[in-house]
Amino acid sequence: MPPRATPSAYTRAPERRFKVGDRVRVKRAHPPGHRRTPAYIRGKKGEIERVCGRFPNPEELAYGFDGEPRRVLYRVRFRQRDVWPGYESPSEDFIEVEIYEHWLEPA
Amino acid sequence: MNRNPADIGGEAAGPIDPVDHGMKFWEKQANALRNTLTSRKVVRLDELRRAAEELGDRYYRLGYFERTTEAMRNLLLEKGLFTRSELEEKIEQVRGRYAS
Repeated sequence: MPPRATPSAYTRAPERRFKVGDRVRVKRAHPPGHRRTPAYIRGKKGEIERVCGRFPNPEELAYGFDGEPRRVLYRVRFRQRDVWPGYESPSEDFIEVEIYEHWLEPA
Repeated sequence: MNRNPADIGGEAAGPIDPVDHGMKFWEKQANALRNTLTSRKVVRLDELRRAAEELGDRYYRLGYFERTTEAMRNLLLEKGLFTRSELEEKIEQVRGRYAS
């Protein structure tokens, strides 16, 4: 018998702050606790690449709460040279990071 | 700056060990228990990750399965599924089985 798949926590996100193509900046904040926004991307500017949907907030789930209200998750595209100091490449390279809405502000 | 021990993106990684070391028997058992606890929603994966991060310096001193298992123990104690003395009693029981 195949293993039972865990149902996805995905829900649609009709109400949201950003749309594909919007320029955003990741908050430069370092609060204690379980955070899913990597330190290297905080404070960096990028562009919304897609809307992933709404998901229970992992920052709340991590402490045994129900993760409500759900948060909109985006995939954000950054230029590598905007992320890493001294990044050199003949081509235009990108890195994409999935980031929750409450970590993003308009740029 | 509060940087959790799992958040190391961009740091020098050092050499990568490409050898597959397989899994020891206890590692398979611990992993099975971890998967059962999350699929039955006794704990959340996010809670297990948080508990691992809270190991602080120990995060790096422990091997992968030691780390995830210690985090799981701490979380189950935190949630009150058993007490520290109940756990110690059980460990003694199991140890006795192997001694005989």
